[in-house]
Amino acid sequence: VIELNTVHFETLLYDINSLCVCVSPSSCVVCVQGHGVLEMPSGTGKTISLLSLIVAYQRAFPLEVTKLIYCSRTVPEIEKVVEELRKLMEFYSKETGETNNFLALALSSRKNLCIHPEVSSLRFGKEVDGKCHSLTASYIRAQRHSNPNQPVCRFYEEFDAVGRQVPLPAGIYNLDDLKDFGRRKGWCPYYLARYAILHANIVVYSYHYLLDPKIADLVSKELAKKSVVVFDEAHNIDNVCIDSMSVNITRRTLDRCQNNVDTLQNTIQKIKETDAAKLREEYRRLVDGLKEASVARETDIYLSNPVLPDEILQEAVPGTIRTAEHFVGFLRRFLEYLKSRLRVQHVVQESTPQFLKDIFDKVCIDRKPLRFCAERLQSLLRTLEIADIADFSAVTLISNFATLVSTYSQGFTIIIEPFEDRTPTIANPVLHFSCMDPSIAIKPVFQRFQSVVITSGTLSPLDIYPRILDFRPVTMASFTMTLARTCLCPLIVGRGNDQVALSSKFETREDFAVIRNYGNLLLEMSAVVPDGIVAFFTSYVYMENIVASWYEQGILENIQRNKLIFIETQDAAETSMALEKYQEACENGRGAILLSVARGKVSEGIDFVHHFGRAVIMFGVPYVYTQSRILKARLEYLRDQFQIRENDFLTFDAMRHAAQCVGRAIRGKTDYGLMIFADKRYARADKRGKLPRWIQEHITDGSLNLTVDETVQLSKHFLRQMAQPFRQEDQLGLSLLTLEQLQSEEMLKKITQIAHQT
Amino acid sequence: MDEEPERAKRWEGGYERTWEVLKEDESGSLKATVEEILFQSKRKRVIESHGQVRLGMMRHLYVVIDCSRSMEDQDLKPNRLTSTLKLMEAFVEEYFDQNPISQVGIIMTKNKRAEKLTDLAGNPKKHITALQKAVDSVCVGEPSLYNSLSLAVQTLKHMPGHTSREILIILSSLTTCDPANIYELIKTLKSLKVRVSVIGLSAEVRVCTVLTRETGGSYHVILDESHFKELLMLHVKPPPSSSASECSLIRMGFPQHTIASLSDQDAKPSFSMSHLDGGGGSGPGLSLGGYFCPQCHAKYTELPVECKVCGLTLVSAPHLARSFHHLFPLDAFTEIPEEEHHGDRFCQACQGELKDKSVFMCPSCHSVFCVECDLFIHDSLHCCPCCIHNQSGP
Repeated sequence: VIELNTVHFETLLYDINSLCVCVSPSSCVVCVQGHGVLEMPSGTGKTISLLSLIVAYQRAFPLEVTKLIYCSRTVPEIEKVVEELRKLMEFYSKETGETNNFLALALSSRKNLCIHPEVSSLRFGKEVDGKCHSLTASYIRAQRHSNPNQPVCRFYEEFDAVGRQVPLPAGIYNLDDLKDFGRRKGWCPYYLARYAILHANIVVYSYHYLLDPKIADLVSKELAKKSVVVFDEAHNIDNVCIDSMSVNITRRTLDRCQNNVDTLQNTIQKIKETDAAKLREEYRRLVDGLKEASVARETDIYLSNPVLPDEILQEAVPGTIRTAEHFVGFLRRFLEYLKSRLRVQHVVQESTPQFLKDIFDKVCIDRKPLRFCAERLQSLLRTLEIADIADFSAVTLISNFATLVSTYSQGFTIIIEPFEDRTPTIANPVLHFSCMDPSIAIKPVFQRFQSVVITSGTLSPLDIYPRILDFRPVTMASFTMTLARTCLCPLIVGRGNDQVALSSKFETREDFAVIRNYGNLLLEMSAVVPDGIVAFFTSYVYMENIVASWYEQGILENIQRNKLIFIETQDAAETSMALEKYQEACENGRGAILLSVARGKVSEGIDFVHHFGRAVIMFGVPYVYTQSRILKARLEYLRDQFQIRENDFLTFDAMRHAAQCVGRAIRGKTDYGLMIFADKRYARADKRGKLPRWIQEHITDGSLNLTVDETVQLSKHFLRQMAQPFRQEDQLGLSLLTLEQLQSEEMLKKITQIAHQT
Repeated sequence: MDEEPERAKRWEGGYERTWEVLKEDESGSLKATVEEILFQSKRKRVIESHGQVRLGMMRHLYVVIDCSRSMEDQDLKPNRLTSTLKLMEAFVEEYFDQNPISQVGIIMTKNKRAEKLTDLAGNPKKHITALQKAVDSVCVGEPSLYNSLSLAVQTLKHMPGHTSREILIILSSLTTCDPANIYELIKTLKSLKVRVSVIGLSAEVRVCTVLTRETGGSYHVILDESHFKELLMLHVKPPPSSSASECSLIRMGFPQHTIASLSDQDAKPSFSMSHLDGGGGSGPGLSLGGYFCPQCHAKYTELPVECKVCGLTLVSAPHLARSFHHLFPLDAFTEIPEEEHHGDRFCQACQGELKDKSVFMCPSCHSVFCVECDLFIHDSLHCCPCCIHNQSGP
């Protein structure tokens, strides 16, 4: 365990929880080079303590840990991490008096980093990527030599000419800093950042850069092995992994793919007439096989790509798809086959071997060429010098699908649905190629990097993550908050005033009495809770039903006397508008209620600090839609492979989302908020036990199965208590320590004790 | 202790482990701890020594009372409005008792409007009668912070710079209905040096936090009725005035109370000038005697008052003297455990035997007092009786 004094903090006040992280066994994650899982409530200095711990280690043993890769979810979160880091570094240089030569930077997509006047004005990420590619691709730039009118990006040119030789000066760069630096020098910030992450000490970026095989291959494959990887806000990491490996194919995709293939055919024809040598050159390369990549992988420079398994690299591309025309013909056949499969009238579910057998029987496509499909397509696109890759997303998708389906015989399932369950009359066939095993995507990360830390505010129950991600953690720890006052108040409302049990379970979903009681709960809470209330429903459909019913019963009108009502919709623009207005209403004292959906945008990325969320009400248990076939397949797989029972996983999934929603309200120790679970099922031990420890320990027996009236009474009391003046001095000695207090023997003992309990 | 102020009802409060507070002494008796608890509750008074701070002696205070729908809530008995008005009556009395040369006005806000119940005036009776009448008013709609603040500011901004401008809001509702952006108004308030304090009856509201922080006021939320009273009484004490406020000499008149003797044939009963607006019209309007303004000879029956004719502030000397004690507060007495105290076994004030665990000693004259007398001297007398006695003695 690291000596305490090597760990610096940015202020002279030490947060007791952060200290616990540092002295607890979890810190050995870094030392013994293993993996770990940490749960710690937000606002207690999780980020800063991890950063300072790892940075201290990095300084002490620069050869053991060369790089810290900090992965977060959204751009604002990335920015927050960089700011914390900046504070830490300032503290370092103030304490030690020396300027340190740390290089830390954030990386994001081109859309957030581009400074090209035309390209950066585009609205969608895909458009920006496409446009950028059409200005910076190597053959475009080569063409410019012959044709000076060919437009290129001057920032990239400048960077390519000068920027690669000059390393980025040491310092902390967030996205804006990078853009400023780029503007000053006239270099492209995006490529500068991508280049600089190779030698930076700390990299902060989104976890898609590591988990999504398509992006990881471009960005992260050259990162050093001796890195520490931190996944922050990682409670959804399994879903991210699964999404990155799953493919959905609709009829529209196939139509677009058809167009792509036609374009390819035409281009090949054209090139054949003008420049047949190029195609021959490509053919020769393919005979040699993908040796280059294989050499690189053996020398352990690259992060392996799960889409491109090792065996492929040794082999040459099979003869059937070696020439360009043959490959296009092959794609056509494959496409026709998929089209025929989509014409089914009933739901089909099959495993990958079944699918491969069927495709062999019907259109005589072998497994082997399918496996090379993705690589072959990339090579062809390169040869044909197609600038705008964005147009070819459909065919890329299909080829990825082909490679995946032929590579993995386990962990995937194919489901073809002729229509959606809700609209059985409208034909909308979809082929889901769904990954059921999140460990496939994350495996290379665990294998490659010496320590990986998974952390979030809500990770309970901790033991399920190592199981579904298939790794063996050195430490698992769940920290609670040490509080000077109990600033959170979880209440479980089980009954209405008329003693009707409140529950969102399927049988009572349409029950008038339940809906009315939910309405009453919201109405009464709106009268006693100041400023903002956030209410979460289990799904959009459920929310619509309930709100419509409240409108008929006149409950909405009554609520509106107390507060304004805003609703989250599936439209992102509309939702952000609603959010903005909601915050305005909270700010100027009108008060507001935001009705939103668990698993929606609001429940994931948005914090409701202080007055923006004085209460969170969770209507019902947010179970995932259990009739979905993909989910059923996944559950079956989990049961067979990992011995996780269906019900356990469903409850786990529901509870982590509930905790996530409810956790939006408390973002720090000075914050306070009510957490209301409006469903009697929360009172059961199996549900309650799956909440994070820092919430669980505040649920007393007295706050189970309350009626609406009792809830209102308790809330009133709590809010009044919390409104009493609360200063930093009150926290001193309890949850904050001064340097003297920290060094006292007694405190050290206490900290170690807390740390080892967890 | 039956007269212990009524806390919230037992079943409304949280779950308390009352028995854990109690500890048996060696003989197994609980008496010692019980006495300790009672003693602590008496001593709860906050000892805050201001040191040498300039206090605003002449105060202009507008009290805004929320009369919105939420005032009908029955968590204060019998309901919030009645309870508030009752406490306000006590507040007004205490306020004028402690700040005789200050003025108060009352504004009520309901139904998105704000209206004046009473104008700024220095006569407690007028306010109290108005408050008593207001008990029957119906509570409807929402309050409007913006309207009530701007209504108060309209008058306050004309008040001279050497007086304090204060607004105290008693807010029960958690929402406010404003016609314009309240943050603009807060800026104006700040520039006009109006100090706004808020007492919340239900929970902490964001706007109020900002409002009080910006204008330098205080923000409190009540726990129960007795806490409410405590918080209200905090506002009786004049706030420290900002060093930026101007100081000036003020002309004041000190009229003598004269009663024309009945034998004097020329004496005719006359009306007091304060009856002119008909507001304070209680009791007989005509009287023989009264206070006569030294400048214009207008007659008033009550002091302090601002002369209606020439605008002179009329006060009596005791009024000024009473305001005076805020400037030189009596030092807190030192608490000495009874064992260490050797000497007089009797309280200097009440002459009762000193039975409690600690006694209190005046730091200047070293007289000893019991708890009750200590409280009485600091809260009401504002001077140590023994010091006074010693001064006048020789």
